[in-house]
Amino acid sequence: MSDAGSPPLSNSNVDHPAYTSSSPSNPKPSQPFSAGTQDDQPVLSMNGITCRFNEVIANNDVYFDLFRGEIHGLLGENGAGKTTLMSVLYGLYKPEAGEIFVKGKRVDVKSPLDAISLGIAMVHQHFLLTPSHTVTENIIVGLKSPGRSIFLNTAEAEKRILELSRKYGLKIDPKAIVGDLSVGEQQRVEIIKALYRDIDILILDEPTSMLTPVEEKALFSTLSAMVKAGLSIIFITHKLKEVIEASTRVTVLRGGKVIGTVMTAQTTETELAKLMIGRSLTQSLAQSQEEIQAGIQKSPSERASAGLANVLELKNVFALNNSGVQALKDLSLTVSKGEIVGIAGVDGNGQSELAEIVSGLRKIQSGQVFIDGRNIVGMSPKQIRQWGLAYIPEDRLNTGLILEYSIAENLILDRWYTRPYSGKIFLNKHEMKRFAEEIVSNFDVRTPSLDIQVRYLSGGNLQKIVLGRELSREHKLLIAHNPTRGLDVGAAEYVRKQLFKQRDSGVGVLLLSLDLDEILLVSDRIAVIYAGRVMGVFDRTTADVEKIGPLMGGYVVDANA
Amino acid sequence: MTTTLILGKRLSFKHIVPFLSGGLAFLVGGIILYAAGVDPLEAYALLIKGSLGTTRAIADTLVKTISLLITGLAVAVAFKCKLWNIGAEGQLYMGALGGLLVGIAVVGMIPVVSVIFVLIAGIAFGAMFSLVPAVLKVKLGVSEIIVTVLLNFVALLFISYLLHGPIKAPGFLPYSPDIFPESELPILVEHTRLHAGLIIAALAAIFVHFLWKSKIGFELKSVGMNISAARYAGMNITKSILITMAISGGLAGLTGAVLLAGVQHRLIEGISPGYGFIAVIIALLGRENALGVCLVAFFFAVLLAGSESMYRTLGIPVAFAQTLQALVLVFVLIGEVFTRIHLPKRIKRVDEAKLENLGKQVGAPAERGKVE
Repeated sequence: MSDAGSPPLSNSNVDHPAYTSSSPSNPKPSQPFSAGTQDDQPVLSMNGITCRFNEVIANNDVYFDLFRGEIHGLLGENGAGKTTLMSVLYGLYKPEAGEIFVKGKRVDVKSPLDAISLGIAMVHQHFLLTPSHTVTENIIVGLKSPGRSIFLNTAEAEKRILELSRKYGLKIDPKAIVGDLSVGEQQRVEIIKALYRDIDILILDEPTSMLTPVEEKALFSTLSAMVKAGLSIIFITHKLKEVIEASTRVTVLRGGKVIGTVMTAQTTETELAKLMIGRSLTQSLAQSQEEIQAGIQKSPSERASAGLANVLELKNVFALNNSGVQALKDLSLTVSKGEIVGIAGVDGNGQSELAEIVSGLRKIQSGQVFIDGRNIVGMSPKQIRQWGLAYIPEDRLNTGLILEYSIAENLILDRWYTRPYSGKIFLNKHEMKRFAEEIVSNFDVRTPSLDIQVRYLSGGNLQKIVLGRELSREHKLLIAHNPTRGLDVGAAEYVRKQLFKQRDSGVGVLLLSLDLDEILLVSDRIAVIYAGRVMGVFDRTTADVEKIGPLMGGYVVDANA
Repeated sequence: MTTTLILGKRLSFKHIVPFLSGGLAFLVGGIILYAAGVDPLEAYALLIKGSLGTTRAIADTLVKTISLLITGLAVAVAFKCKLWNIGAEGQLYMGALGGLLVGIAVVGMIPVVSVIFVLIAGIAFGAMFSLVPAVLKVKLGVSEIIVTVLLNFVALLFISYLLHGPIKAPGFLPYSPDIFPESELPILVEHTRLHAGLIIAALAAIFVHFLWKSKIGFELKSVGMNISAARYAGMNITKSILITMAISGGLAGLTGAVLLAGVQHRLIEGISPGYGFIAVIIALLGRENALGVCLVAFFFAVLLAGSESMYRTLGIPVAFAQTLQALVLVFVLIGEVFTRIHLPKRIKRVDEAKLENLGKQVGAPAERGKVE
């Protein structure tokens, strides 16, 4: 539940004969499900679900079905609409259109309570447990205690929990305090909590995102024990490897639409990657690249001659993330002047930490970071900025801006202490206003007034304020972290054009984006990051999804392939 | 609470709500008085007369205003930066101690300068005492709420210990020796108790007002509003938290020194009847800005002074003043919730309508509802 659905891709009309299309003309995935079915009626079908948040369509006419005894993988990038679809099923969101059938009966799921009474349970990515309570207390919460006693009868519950635990290989101590358990164990508690309520359908949202490899293996064997016992499981993920390993069937979502549903046994990771990311990508991107480039004067050769010196150089950088886990492992990378280097990778593979290291917001364990020849390790964020860094942060709402502040106040966040924005003691209101007017007109910020708190502005306009502030700095290096996330197509294009302009003026740009399309579109070189390491660096001309996809999943490309 | 109105900005329903709330508080207070067998109108008339009826009464009210105002400012500065300093009372006592140590020392005999030293010592002691929770917060992430609350007891008991032992003046009562007359704040109006602390308080309010217009104030405020944005923008979080708490504690300490040099002229256990606690309410009702705090502090001083005359004449317990304070707080907070929940919708609608009138694209009002 992290990002505000990325804008629907324009080129998502994949037409591949091997996959059942789910356009309205052919609504239900017609591929019969055969493996181990007793009945051919699906336990669950969702027909034509459409769900939208403000302007963003999170689900667009989505068809999805689930048979008894299958693990159905729901695959897609961040913002593809997976979690939204399942939240609709779980009664958390109300869809604009569409019907849900459970065991052939049309149902109206208004709340998670409805869902549970229909035999549907969901294990969220972030667990909903009370850390100070025991496992048993967490599991029976909300249920009626058997008998007439006013006291909780936990003995009975514990017995049942142990039974379930044995049956499905979910090792757990019912008396343990949840706060003392590891993440993997807490997940088991969540699963048992679901099973305890006699459910038929279990939804797992990114269940492996916080697990160690060993815990992951254990989870998968539990899942297969559960489907053998007759349950059906929906497995939400963006990791190809897991889908191949755990599921029987896969539905791929992209930009809120179903791209296809396919039997896992009949597909490969590469094919799934194509579906997930978009097949006709390379071609159409080249086109838009040209379109964007059309407005820019400098020729590539001019850029190449300018781009010799490294403006950013990371050497063997190690760093921890917020929870003390190794986030960057021996990472080395360079960005030269007048070049955009795109970092491709699945979310949470060290991108945030990389940006924070370069901007001085995170401590480095070992290694060196040079910006324009100066080692910035140990410098404060302010010093690094003064040395020549502009930084478009990942989270523009909570990091890039102070929402309670006006445009003018936000624009001087990084330079409040310098002339002409302030004198010896006081801020210079006049100059702040003049600067705000300048940025608002240069960056086409649409606002009813300059004094309004920026919280009332739209995402695109907020990003323009951040851009306006950062790009108006004296800088040699620009870090852009998910700069177009959550923006509509027009705003996204505007931001990308700004990146090109920066490059052409000789600035080195480090672009971190979860949107592979964007990386391929904008970058001159592409570095693939996985588990805190750079897996490979490609020139844009030689990079494509086939090469990058597996690296993003941690697979080293076979040299012979 | 009424600053926007006074500054001549657009008058709207939002600005009337606090007054309606205050009115309701007095209405409910009246019902309580009536139930206790007192004529509410007579009681309220006495309240006004007792606090504003004579020169002497006004002077007494102003003396109370001084303490409420400076402590209110102290808390408001911290609250504005989202630092929940509930320890103004303790800081006030430490400030009084600092003032005393100067006031009874040799330096306390130098005319004119000595009183300034007393005040500076008060500020320094209060600031240093408030740095304890600040350092704990910065270094160990300890919540400043708990530490400041508990340090109140530490300060009060420490002062109590000193007054019963090390700095006790000869005699039965736990009083310190008097400070030298040179260290006392001069009386402004003869035959009243109104002392020059009023000028100090006014200076403090002006200081806080201009603090938020200064560079350092912008940094402190930004860090308070959003640590991650401030850090990203290059602001120094540790420094800001320490400075904010030092200013807050310094002002509270100043109150202690003013009480010492202006009213008591010696340190006693009850030098503050809980000004540091009432300050929390004053800061909240004053919307954390200097002008608002001035108004609320004066209003509360009227309540406190008036309730004393209500007690003397009608036998209404002084605690009724506290009841009224609490009622005002409760009603104003309810009014605030009301404005926050019901009015923003209308405001937003107006803004969007404006946007559309301008013929410009209206986006989603920020990305609050997150998808996926």
